[in-house]
Amino acid sequence: MPHPLEGRFSVDHSARLIRNYRYAVERALRALGGWIALTPEISAKLLMGRHVWDLAQHADAFGKRLPELRAPAQVSEPPNPAFAAFMDALEEPEGKEQTVERLVGVYRVLKPHLLATYRDHVARANPVYEPPTRRILERCIEDEARHIAAGETILRHLASTPALDERAAVWQGRLEGLLAAAGGVTGDGLPQASAAPPTATQPPELDDDAREWIRLERTVTVWPIPDDLRATLQSFGDALLARDAAAPRRWLAAGAAWDVGAESSLYAVKPAAHRVVAFARVGHHRLVKLSFEGADGAATLLTRWVPAADGWRVAALEVARVDAARPALPPP
Amino acid sequence: MRAREVAQLKIDQGLPPFPDLASRDSIKDRVHGIMVGELQAMEGAGRTVCDFPEAPWEFTLDMARQVWDESRHVEIYLRLLEHLDGYAGEFPETTILWRCACAEDAAARVAGVNRGLEGLACDVFNQLVHIARKMGDPILERAVEFVLADEITHVRMGSKWLTRLTEGDPERRRRAIEFQETIDERFNLGGMRRLGDHEAVPVSIATDVRRMAGFTEEEIERLIKSTQRSQVY
Ligand SMILES: [Fe+2]
Ligand SMILES: [Fe+2]
Repeated sequence: MPHPLEGRFSVDHSARLIRNYRYAVERALRALGGWIALTPEISAKLLMGRHVWDLAQHADAFGKRLPELRAPAQVSEPPNPAFAAFMDALEEPEGKEQTVERLVGVYRVLKPHLLATYRDHVARANPVYEPPTRRILERCIEDEARHIAAGETILRHLASTPALDERAAVWQGRLEGLLAAAGGVTGDGLPQASAAPPTATQPPELDDDAREWIRLERTVTVWPIPDDLRATLQSFGDALLARDAAAPRRWLAAGAAWDVGAESSLYAVKPAAHRVVAFARVGHHRLVKLSFEGADGAATLLTRWVPAADGWRVAALEVARVDAARPALPPP
Repeated sequence: MRAREVAQLKIDQGLPPFPDLASRDSIKDRVHGIMVGELQAMEGAGRTVCDFPEAPWEFTLDMARQVWDESRHVEIYLRLLEHLDGYAGEFPETTILWRCACAEDAAARVAGVNRGLEGLACDVFNQLVHIARKMGDPILERAVEFVLADEITHVRMGSKWLTRLTEGDPERRRRAIEFQETIDERFNLGGMRRLGDHEAVPVSIATDVRRMAGFTEEEIERLIKSTQRSQVY
């Protein structure tokens, strides 16, 4: 039977591990914070927004523990340049269409690794003289398990097609390779897979329930478009698809000008289908964003409709954005 | 759409340019605007966490706390929209708050966002609590009152970090305060924000709340004067 005062870590080594954890956590929280503005999906924004503060508290607790271990407070340190390179790669996906990659990096690679590492550390830290570190790690373990569960819920929601799922798996594989090459967050090698479940076993509380964020993202399932306007929008969109120069102009309101530039930007994407992507109101006016998707990309038309004696008329239209079709992602 | 264009469209239809909270629909319009403001506040605070790794750690810690608060505020206002039978996207909104959050200097950002914009949020939320109480909507009243408490904390953080980050650098402090003042002047809500009782003015400047959040008497005085001048929003 081991002696109760037998220990695996020296004070200096323990401080080094804590600086390593703090490095990973600090970079992750700054990345999550910065990504919120780059991420279009509300559910993913809320996920990131919730977890920035938990991670900041982890980094803070690690940082405050350091002087108790004869080391300067609030210092982060990577174990080696390879781990810094892993974090650089994790932070890379900044495109608005790369939410899945962002979440995969944090929620399927980094956090599961941190969770396993913290559990491994607690299992090996001396229970008599290392409770200050153990208490901190136990809180982190609880939070990480909860975060991973929430992240997984959002990822399953966002990576909802086989193509996206495949992209997620490819990115995960690439990051896991970098992480293994670095020897993990401590540089000492990846911890043994833990017998404990990788995610939280307790159902989340309402304030941290990712399923609710998905529900809130979909607060409206059907735009409250009046039937006559819906029919008008269908015919208007069809006329634009048909590239009939005269037909769409029939809906122009008296005194309104037709935007030829908008029309040609629209044709440039070779539109084959159209759909309503936003529906707002200003008094009696209705603002409708119509997305036209085609072989060469997508164009979003912002239109303003006003009720007239003979039906809905378009009082303004402009191209809100044009996205050229992207070539398939190159292999990693 | 630009805020000015939306306001003009409303005026053209004989409607008040900014939600006057006289009807449930108008309250919904205001709550919608606040929800989008909270979203931009979350994005802005998140950027601040990310953009200033060289700032003192406690600064990052405060900003990270703010990100969490704002993310809860977004959720609260999404739920209040549901409560009011509305939905996200029902009214056109702008990114003007976000653009104000894009100052290069951390001190200017906390002055402009935490003290300027979130100070304005305190005025607006204070009024919303008052109206919710008056019309007997305890859901709206209680939820917004708690958000207001968080916002006062954010303004206080702004006051603290404006001072700390500019210690020994009066020029940096001057520029940050100047940035805040441009924001105070821009966001007068079409002249609706004024000094006075809730019953007497459309949006009352929450002077007590501002004192609680670290505003000096002189600053409050200057703000009141600025609301009597021109405005763009
Ligand atoms: Fe807020
Ligand atoms: Fe705030």
